[in-house]
Amino acid sequence: MIQQVVGVVMSGVFHASILFLVSAGLQVVFGVQKIFNLACGSFYALGAYVGVSAVGWYAAAGGPPALFIVPLAVAGLAAGGVGLVVERGLLRFVYDRDETFQLLLTFAVVLMMEDAIRMTWGTSPRSTSGLYLVYGGVSVLGTTVPVYNLIVIGASLAIALVIGWLLTRTAFGRIIRATADNREMAEALGVDVRRVFAGVFTLGTALGTLGGALVIPATAAMSEMGIELIVEAFAVVVIGGLGSMRGAFVGALSVGILRAIAISVYPKLEMLLIYLIVIAVLVLRPRGLFGEARA
Amino acid sequence: MRTTRRSFLRLASTGAAVATVRLDGPPARAQAGGPVKVGVLTIRAGIAAPVGAAGLRGTEWWVDRVNRAGGILGRTVQLVVEEESNPKDTVERYRKLVLQDKVQAVLGGISTGVTLALGPVAEDLATPWLSWDGTTQKGVEETMPHPTWAFKSVDNEVEAIVAGMLTAKYFKGIKTVAGIGNDYSYGHDCWESYKAVLKKYAPDVRFVLELFPKLGVTDFTSHIAAIQQSKADLLMCSFWSGDATIIMKQATAVGLFKTMKGVFTTAGGVHDSLKKEFTPEGLLLGYNTMYFDDPKGSALLKQFVREYKARHGEYPPYECDHAYFCAESYKAAVEKAAAQSGKWPEKAAVARALEGIEVESLSGRRSWREDHVQMCAFYQGITTHRNPYDFATISPVEVVSTKVAMKPAGTKLFDWINSWKVSRG
Repeated sequence: MIQQVVGVVMSGVFHASILFLVSAGLQVVFGVQKIFNLACGSFYALGAYVGVSAVGWYAAAGGPPALFIVPLAVAGLAAGGVGLVVERGLLRFVYDRDETFQLLLTFAVVLMMEDAIRMTWGTSPRSTSGLYLVYGGVSVLGTTVPVYNLIVIGASLAIALVIGWLLTRTAFGRIIRATADNREMAEALGVDVRRVFAGVFTLGTALGTLGGALVIPATAAMSEMGIELIVEAFAVVVIGGLGSMRGAFVGALSVGILRAIAISVYPKLEMLLIYLIVIAVLVLRPRGLFGEARA
Repeated sequence: MRTTRRSFLRLASTGAAVATVRLDGPPARAQAGGPVKVGVLTIRAGIAAPVGAAGLRGTEWWVDRVNRAGGILGRTVQLVVEEESNPKDTVERYRKLVLQDKVQAVLGGISTGVTLALGPVAEDLATPWLSWDGTTQKGVEETMPHPTWAFKSVDNEVEAIVAGMLTAKYFKGIKTVAGIGNDYSYGHDCWESYKAVLKKYAPDVRFVLELFPKLGVTDFTSHIAAIQQSKADLLMCSFWSGDATIIMKQATAVGLFKTMKGVFTTAGGVHDSLKKEFTPEGLLLGYNTMYFDDPKGSALLKQFVREYKARHGEYPPYECDHAYFCAESYKAAVEKAAAQSGKWPEKAAVARALEGIEVESLSGRRSWREDHVQMCAFYQGITTHRNPYDFATISPVEVVSTKVAMKPAGTKLFDWINSWKVSRG
C-alpha cells in the first residue's frame, strides 16, 4: 500500500514540477504585463528541442554523460533569450490594445513556433536516448524512483525559492511588484517600464524553456508537445489564481498529484477530474486560491 | 521603381490571368505519350508526420526505380504530392488531384479518420485510389464491402490479433494483463481485439487495467505507477509514435519490465528510437508489415534498406512497404490491362486488373483481396540486443499472414474470432 502511494505521489510531483515552471512563467508575465501568454507552451517545446540538440553536441564532443544536466540547463536558460526577441519584436506593439489582440498575437506565436520547430528539427520525435537512466534509480519505501526525476523536482523547488527571493527580497523584485500594482505610478517614480517588461517577459520565457529542457531526458521532443501543456497550465492558473506565484506552486502540485491519483484509481477521470476542479474553483472562488480580488 | 496600389493591382490581375490560362490549358500531353501523373496524399505535420515521410520516401524510391527502367509502358511516372490533414481538407485535395491535376490514380492515406471520408469520394470520382495505411472501417466494421475504385489497407486491428496469438505462444502461464493505448479508435480496437484473441488461447486470463491517455501525451510516469500498482503479469501497449519510445524509457527507469512481460504491438514503427539502454530484451515487438532486418528478406528489401539508410540516415519503417506495394501494384495492373487491350488502359480497366493482383513488394509477395483489402504478412518477434545497431531488434522473427490473422471478407470481427478452434498447448 505504502509502495503504491509513494509511486503515485512521486509520479505526480514529477509532473507537477515541470508544470510549475511553465505556469510560473505564465504567471509572472500576466502578473506584471497583464498579458495572457498562450505561447508559454511553445517556449516549453522550444526548450525541449534546444535541450536535445545541446545534449547531442555535448555527447558528440565527448563530455562525461553524468554531467549532461549542465549543458541541458544552460541551453534551456539560454533559449529563454527568444523571449526578449518576441517581446521587443511583437508584444510591445500591443500593450495598449485590447486583450483580444494580445491573445491573438501570442496564439500566432504558438503557430509560428510550431512551424519554426518543424523546419529546424524536422517532424520526427527527438530524444536524448538513454541519458535518463545515467543516474539510475533509488528505492523510496520500496518503490523505484529514477534519480533524474528527483533532480528535476529539486531543481524546480530551488527555482521556486529563487523566484520567491527575487520577488520579495531584491530591488528588482520590488520594482516588478510596483509595476504590477500600478504601472503609471511606477513610471512616474522613474521606473523604466520598457526594461521591466522586457526583463519580465524574458524571465517568464526562460522558465518555460528551462522546464522543456529539464523534462526532455525523461521523454521525447515532439512539435505539438506545447499544446498539451498549455491546457494543463491553464488549469493550474485557474486553480492557483491568475498572477500569483504561490498559486502556480500550489496549483501545479494539485493538478500533478490529482491527475496521478485519478489515473491510479479511476483512469477515465484523468483530465475530467482536473476540469471538474477548475469548474468548482471558477464557481466558488473565481479568483483562485491565491488570486487577488479585483474591483 | 515605386509600386503604387494601381500598378500592383494591374500586375496581380495579369498574374491571375496567366495562372487561369495555365490551369485551363488542355492536358493533351498527359493523354498522349507524356509522363503518367500519379497523385500522392501524405501526412506532413503532427504526430503521424514521420509515418507520412516514410510512405513518401518509399514511393519516391519506387518512382526512381521505375523511371530508370523506362517507366510504365514507356511513360515516366510523375508524382503530384498533396497533404493529408483533416478529412474535409483532404477530400478537397483529393478532388483537386483528380479533377485539376488529372492524375491517373491516387496513392496514400494513412489515418482511418481521413480515409473513411475518402472512400465514398474515390468511388464518386471514378479513379483508382490505393490507400497505404487507412481503411474504410468504422471501428472494426467495414463500411464499404464492395467498392469499385477504393483499395484499402489491412484492417487496423490485425497487429493486435497477431500479438494476441504470439502472446499465447511466448508468454505461457500469464494470468493478468494490463493494457495501454491511445484514446481513439485504433487504441480501443486493438485492445478489444487483443483481449478477444488472448481469451481464446488462455480463457483464465484476467484483464486488470486499461488506460487510454490522449494522443500527444508525453509524460506517462503516472500511468506507469498505475500499471505497477495493478501487479499485472504482462503489459500490452499499442502506441506507435514517439509515445512508444517515451513509455519504454519511463517504464524501464522504474524497473517495470523486471517483474512484467511486455507486448508492444506497433512500436516497430519507431524502431530505431528504441535504444538498447532502455529497451529490454524479451519483449514482444511488432513491426507491422515490414521488418527491415529480416534475415530471410529479399534482395529488393536489402537494396532498399541500404539505400534508405544512405539517403535518410535511418532504417526504414513499415510504411515504406505499404507505399511501395500500392505503387508497384498500380504499375502491374496497368501492364496487365494493357496486355489485353494493346493500348494504355482506361481507369476502369486498371481498377479491375488490380483485383486479386499479386506483386513483389519490399517485404515479399503482397496482393489485393477480391474486396480490395491488402493481403500481406505481419512481422513480430522477441526483442534482442544481439545486433550491430544501437537499438533493439527482434529474434526469432515470427511472420504471420493476413490469411490467418485478418477477418475474411464479409465477416464480423468478433464472430470470426469466436469461431476459431484453438488448441491450447
